[in-house]
Amino acid sequence: MSRPRPCGAIAEFTEAEALVAAIRAARAAGWSALEAHAPHPVPDAAVALGAKAAPVAWIAVGAGIAGAAIAYGTAWYLSVYDYPLNVGGRPPNAWPAFLPAAYIVGVLWAAVAALLGMLWLNGLPRLHHPVFFARGFHRASQDRYFLFLMAEDPRFQPASALAFLRGLDAVRVSEVRAA
Amino acid sequence: MSVSTTPVVAAALRPGAWGFRLGLLLALAGVAVLAAAVAALLVLGIGIWGNNMPHVWGFDLIAYAWWIGIANAASLFAAVLVLRRHGLRTAVNRFAEAVALAAVLAAALYPILHLGRPWLFHWTIAYPATTGLWPQFGSPLVWDFWGIMAHVIVTALFWYVGLIPDLATLRDRAAMQGRLGLARAYGLFALGWRGSVVHWHRHQAAYRLVAALVLPLLLSAQTVVALEFATTLVPAWHQARLPVHMVVTGLPSGLGVVLAMAAVLRHALSIERIIDAGDMDVLARLLACAALASGASYAHEILTGMVFEDSATRAAFTARAFGAGAPAYWGAILLSVLLPQLLWRRALRLRAEVVIPVGLLAAAGVWLDRWSLVVGGLLREHLPAHAVAYVPSPAEWALLVGSAALFGAVLLLFGRAIPVVAMFEIRHEESLEDVAEEER
Repeated sequence: MSRPRPCGAIAEFTEAEALVAAIRAARAAGWSALEAHAPHPVPDAAVALGAKAAPVAWIAVGAGIAGAAIAYGTAWYLSVYDYPLNVGGRPPNAWPAFLPAAYIVGVLWAAVAALLGMLWLNGLPRLHHPVFFARGFHRASQDRYFLFLMAEDPRFQPASALAFLRGLDAVRVSEVRAA
Repeated sequence: MSVSTTPVVAAALRPGAWGFRLGLLLALAGVAVLAAAVAALLVLGIGIWGNNMPHVWGFDLIAYAWWIGIANAASLFAAVLVLRRHGLRTAVNRFAEAVALAAVLAAALYPILHLGRPWLFHWTIAYPATTGLWPQFGSPLVWDFWGIMAHVIVTALFWYVGLIPDLATLRDRAAMQGRLGLARAYGLFALGWRGSVVHWHRHQAAYRLVAALVLPLLLSAQTVVALEFATTLVPAWHQARLPVHMVVTGLPSGLGVVLAMAAVLRHALSIERIIDAGDMDVLARLLACAALASGASYAHEILTGMVFEDSATRAAFTARAFGAGAPAYWGAILLSVLLPQLLWRRALRLRAEVVIPVGLLAAAGVWLDRWSLVVGGLLREHLPAHAVAYVPSPAEWALLVGSAALFGAVLLLFGRAIPVVAMFEIRHEESLEDVAEEER
């Protein structure tokens, strides 16, 4: 029986600083398809990986403006054109009364879009990921830090990837295979 | 690593103690009372309540404004902690959000139930109905609908998204213990979180952004409730200061409940090291501060009510503060402004047996204030024959007790099934402390 093709190679660290140093070393060595895992946010590691959070904010801003515009537009269209009601001669476009709802709906859309957009950018929810095959990976949600070199990298060769990871300050280096 | 998150996980994964079971049993009995009260209302109609002219609003709006105040103050507190990256957030953020969520669920019941025909509440949504009718967009009911909707959705999402990484921890811990069914259940809600550093980066950005968005949303949620009062012509309500008054006087209720919860949780779940004496100290002083701010708002109310406003408002205020409504008005000030001032004494604020009653009584005091506003405001009719007192009926008491039980049941289940403090924040905090120490 042939062994399945490896999904990548992984190194396990006990400290966040060691992970940050390893990411910098891997980027310097030219690895492009790599992912780091930590039990808490590690801002330095995110910077080293070139992560950008700005799209989350842009999604929120766009959705917020759209939400407020749709809420105000609905109230305006329905009250002025579709079903105007003359209440004591008051203007049908009662903007002071339309604003609270438009504002709340805008904030609602922005907040929901920020949270769902974050999940979407992260590719979540996802049923499975090759990195879960790694030995001891359950500690990535508790107290260990991982650097995962993925097989999608054009220069990925199991032997060279493992050799590179062994040169780092890791407590364990292993190949990840779909079990 | 000085503080382990193990007790937090253990609290979520171990079988329930007798105290928890008893508490849950009582809360579920209360929820049954709530179900009975709601069923009676749906079958018999709103006539089973004590409302009648001139008291068009009674327990329904008192409880609504009160629960919204609790939710509001608790979320406001949580959001400010996230934005300021305050150390206290690791200890209390998660359950402050849970308190807000449970309170907003309790609050959301009332405006629907008080409609008279609650099964038609969807008429407040703008949708192309076969009747060809649309909601009246000039009505505060439309603000109310969106205010509550937004509050429920955003509070729930804010809480859940903050929870995802901790659900992943529980998934992995449960899998390690060989409890695969439980691991799958937690794994489903963890959405496949794998702690990727890039994901963390976006997660934190989104979390902080929503915390910033929660602030204006909350202010609007409480002000919308107050604006509904202020847009009427009832003298005691028709004031521009009412929204600010409701937001500020609501603060002691939410902070009081969070403080009492913190005191209960740290003992019940044996997490005294995670919610430590320093955290309790800051929380208690915060409640005392909020009570002072609330006191300033009352002083302003008395000043405007007695001196600056016209004769109709003056008469209405005098009736609330010195007439038949006086016990509620001054009771509110006693419980939500003066009583929390005890917490300035360090010896008192570090004792759970002081902090729990003071926190809960502050919340009760705010309820009295809402009673004073709703009932006292409507007490004075323009025709003398109408000046009858409002007396709540048993159905209304059942509704109040039931919604409190619903709040309790949600919090108890939350305390059992998921980590009550954000574990990843504790780890993060520690790693930042390590770095700071090395740099010294």
